[in-house]
Amino acid sequence: MKALLSSVTAILAALVLTTGIAAAYEKQKVVYHVNYDNPKKQAGAMRNIQNHINAVGAENLDLVVVLHGNGVSLLKHAKEDMDFQGKVVSLKSQNVRFNVCNNTLVGREIDPVADLYDVFDEDIVPSGVAELAHLQAQGYTYIKP
Amino acid sequence: MSGRDEGISTELLNALADGELTGAEREGLLARLGGDPEARARLCAIREAKARVAEAYPPLPEAAPRPRRRPAWPLAAAAVLLAAALAAVLGPGAPDRRMVLLDPLGVGERPAAVSDATLRIVFHVVDPSHTKAGELLEEVEGLLARHRDAGLPLRVEVVAHGEGLALLRAGLSRHRERIAALAGAYPNLTFVACHNTVTRLQVEEGIAVTLIPEAEVTRSGVAHVVRRQQEGWAYIQV
Repeated sequence: MKALLSSVTAILAALVLTTGIAAAYEKQKVVYHVNYDNPKKQAGAMRNIQNHINAVGAENLDLVVVLHGNGVSLLKHAKEDMDFQGKVVSLKSQNVRFNVCNNTLVGREIDPVADLYDVFDEDIVPSGVAELAHLQAQGYTYIKP
Repeated sequence: MSGRDEGISTELLNALADGELTGAEREGLLARLGGDPEARARLCAIREAKARVAEAYPPLPEAAPRPRRRPAWPLAAAAVLLAAALAAVLGPGAPDRRMVLLDPLGVGERPAAVSDATLRIVFHVVDPSHTKAGELLEEVEGLLARHRDAGLPLRVEVVAHGEGLALLRAGLSRHRERIAALAGAYPNLTFVACHNTVTRLQVEEGIAVTLIPEAEVTRSGVAHVVRRQQEGWAYIQV
């Protein structure tokens, strides 16, 4: 009995040690809300997102960015500035999704293909606000960086 | 708030005026006030502002559920019957009126019979920008119209606090007509002003705030949005 207990303890200890620090956070679902134009702030938000990924692990994080109103310009800046584009590409390669509000596109006569970087049909949502509410109802935590 | 280290803070005076201090805290503060005429004057101003606001704007009842002495189900059963009767009378095209009748004070308590498919969104306005306010109202109107057209139940609250209170101040808001039109057209839309902000403006800046007639008042804007999230509302900061 004693031998069994001590081997079970040893196995558990090994498990804890190997999974330990990397599992500091559990899986998370998060939606980031960006509705401002300032490129510095937008870059700051992307930095927050990268830090978030670093802390939780890309495989544990289901992260969506909802761009609406003035925030849609983030993907316009990405089209025009290579540095900015690099940041977006990097985040997308870590499974971050960038959703764009159709009301904003229509209201401001923005052509998603011509004016914005790398936006496809599946990235466009009918209403940024409705999408934010919908994602929260699905259990996503809301963050406004 | 005042930036002085030794002075009695306005926050503490507010707590005293709201009856939120324990017996010992209260005694201690009253003793300190004995030797601080400036703080006493501030306390007077706070009490005056509170009285004026309470008179002009009846506060929303606390949304936290009170302990029930009687079982809730007879009330719920009655509400179900009432809702069914209403549905028969009003028809499927009037979800808004049914919601307001069961939740007339707009405090967000779950109406007993309306299905939980009701989408509830609280918009938190903290930015004074008039342009942003205009964009928000545009977005809110679109949301309300689309849900009404589709017959989907929706509740929207716009809570303004801090600098965002400009949206609901009679002297400052550039959107009074639009707000009045929206409030009139959509009974499921409520505008809520933060009482603490009003008090602070009065006491620290000597501004006598007049709110637009459509504004309801909640004691603390931040506590209110937290409560709404706890009740399951979606949260969007503008």
